Amino acid sequence: MIKIESLTFQYDGGGEPALRDISLDVEPGGFIGIIGPAGAGKTTLARAIGGMVPHHYKGDFYGSVIVDSMDTVENRMTDISRVVGTVFQDVESQIISSVVEDEMLYGLENFGIPRGEIEERLTFALRQVGIEDLRCRTIASLSGGQRQKVAIASIIALRPKVLLLDEPTGELDPGSSRMVFSLLKEMNERYGLTVIVIEQKIMLLSEFAKQLIVLNEGKIYCSGPVRQVLERAKELEGIGVNCPRVASLAISLKEAGCGEMPVCINVDEAETMVRGLLR
Amino acid sequence: MKDLFQYTAGNSVIHRMNPLTKILLAVCICAAGFISDNIFYLLFLLLLDMMIGLAAGVFKKALSILKGLLKVSIFLFILQVLFVRRGTPVFWIITDEGLMLAAKVVLRLIIACIPLALMLAVTQISDLANALVQVLHLPYKYAFTLTTSIRFIPQFMEEMGDIMEAQTARGVEFDTKNGLKKIGLVLPLCVPLLISSVRRTDATAVAAEVRGFELRTTKSGFKKYPFRLIDLAAFLICAALIAGAVLL
Repeated sequence: MIKIESLTFQYDGGGEPALRDISLDVEPGGFIGIIGPAGAGKTTLARAIGGMVPHHYKGDFYGSVIVDSMDTVENRMTDISRVVGTVFQDVESQIISSVVEDEMLYGLENFGIPRGEIEERLTFALRQVGIEDLRCRTIASLSGGQRQKVAIASIIALRPKVLLLDEPTGELDPGSSRMVFSLLKEMNERYGLTVIVIEQKIMLLSEFAKQLIVLNEGKIYCSGPVRQVLERAKELEGIGVNCPRVASLAISLKEAGCGEMPVCINVDEAETMVRGLLR
Repeated sequence: MKDLFQYTAGNSVIHRMNPLTKILLAVCICAAGFISDNIFYLLFLLLLDMMIGLAAGVFKKALSILKGLLKVSIFLFILQVLFVRRGTPVFWIITDEGLMLAAKVVLRLIIACIPLALMLAVTQISDLANALVQVLHLPYKYAFTLTTSIRFIPQFMEEMGDIMEAQTARGVEFDTKNGLKKIGLVLPLCVPLLISSVRRTDATAVAAEVRGFELRTTKSGFKKYPFRLIDLAAFLICAALIAGAVLL
């Protein structure tokens, strides 16, 4: 679905390259979590996948990004965005209209979705995100979290093949954050969407994502299935990525001489492991 | 300023009109005010403004605009009265013609200000922009500029508030009673405000572009804005208002 080959990108006027020699391959139906310390190039990578780099944010671009067999440099941002639906980090500035319904309609109208289909898509997206009751409200009257949900719903309504989210739970409380991730999982599993999500909350990522990519200083520090990445919890903490405590638990137990054991990614697994040890 | 463009929801006759009809009606009332030279007709127009406010459920807003215009009106009235030298003196240097002219100027000012503000209060800006694109075939770029700039007003005010609070927390005296000093303190804040607004505008541009901004045409709108019987009635009223202004 997405193939990046030795991508290096430096913003105009920026001293250091924001991304260096990134290569990665995302299969259709993947659920990828991207994590890394501040300034690691996460947002730039998201922009490169969505075509904002180099079309909107100019700079020196080396290598290639192919999205659904479209080269992002040769194709327009508008064409790429038919495939990749992006939810940006700054929710405030990505909302265009002043009423929720208009905001939802905006993309649907522009991409020429048939009139008969619009209502169904609109209600579907609102229901998925759980904000059906906000349909007629003005954006100004919504809280930060509600606005974030509106932004996500307006992208889901477009039914892209790839859903790209840059810190989608930044304004959300823990409950709503889980809800957003459950929603992403459902879109991924039931509708086969490829999901790429940048997130600081590693606990959510390790529970919901299938693969993790750790970025550091513009490079891929490590990547692979969640468990495989979490086995390097100690190293990751060295570069400023906190790992879930349940993951560090297995490693600490191993160091304490309790033998080899698989990394846990949620509390239930950790409980089973500890019970097993105590028996 | 903040609630000047705030939409007041409702389902009145005025609300149900086509956005373009509302604007036309407002413009016609203004125009009639400037054409007419009959003080009774001007008073009638003022009454009509208030009636519209009452019918649309925004009478309070109409009153608050009226109150806001009071100071300017008094100032304008005194100036006119003192400077008009024609006519027979009534008291000191004040003449009857001066009083009449001053009253007309003030009435015109009020008549010109109220209708557009009221109509904007009962029209969603997005509806107005969509109608402009669909019916008058205004290029979407201009309509987008209109809606975005109006949407940004409360955001910028919020941002200005944030910047001022941040500065107050660091000891800047924004609560000073000295007006000149306050201006001196506020002016430098325009720089951070400008920078953050440019950044925000840029982000909004990208967000619009990834949702097909460039693909939008006059036919893209989901909501349609046909002219109904009520709009026809409004057109007749418009014509009558202008005719009245010319004839009376």
